[in-house]
Amino acid sequence: MSMEQQPAVAVEAAPAWDRPLVTFPTFALMALIGGFFPSFSVEANLYVIVLGGALMWLGLSGRMTKRSSPARLDRAALWWLVPAGLLVAIELTDFALGSTYGHPTLSVLADPALGHYSLRSLAYFTWLGAFWGLVRR
Amino acid sequence: MSATRIVALIGFVISVLLAGGVETLSRRAGSRIPSLAAICGFVMQYRAGKMPVGRIAVYGFWWWLGWHFFAR
Repeated sequence: MSMEQQPAVAVEAAPAWDRPLVTFPTFALMALIGGFFPSFSVEANLYVIVLGGALMWLGLSGRMTKRSSPARLDRAALWWLVPAGLLVAIELTDFALGSTYGHPTLSVLADPALGHYSLRSLAYFTWLGAFWGLVRR
Repeated sequence: MSATRIVALIGFVISVLLAGGVETLSRRAGSRIPSLAAICGFVMQYRAGKMPVGRIAVYGFWWWLGWHFFAR
């Protein structure tokens, strides 16, 4: 096992389409389309698999310009365990208790909101944007 | 609304607020706390030989999260 520092720039030049002017409306369009597909449908499954697969391939292919990342983390990074620990504790507890109305997990809470087209599209856009951020890292 | 549901809701809200607070602190000049993006970048550098295990794990988790909320 080894920990290697990511080079600041993985490729010589970023692709011409790798600009907010292109990616922002592209993701917005993809999110607006994704909002049409209800949960448990074949279309929703295929759409999220294709989009996620494409972004994962882009991230692993080394074609993207990547931002530099720290080679090591300060102990102060442990502060992140406070919100993460609380979130995971509630999620796992409610999951163990059946993920019901009385003991809701995040997905149970999100389902009613994601039933609305506008909120579903907005969530899709957030998911795509964050995925893009990870691809660029 | 049941008490257990209210407790869960308050807990989720507090965890989100705490995450926002830590992220805000990380962005202050001279902060030793790394941003969430920096932590993700650090984790994604992890390799087992030539296999980018960290990158695959982080992408895989985010991909699964999208599938879980939008498709399942």
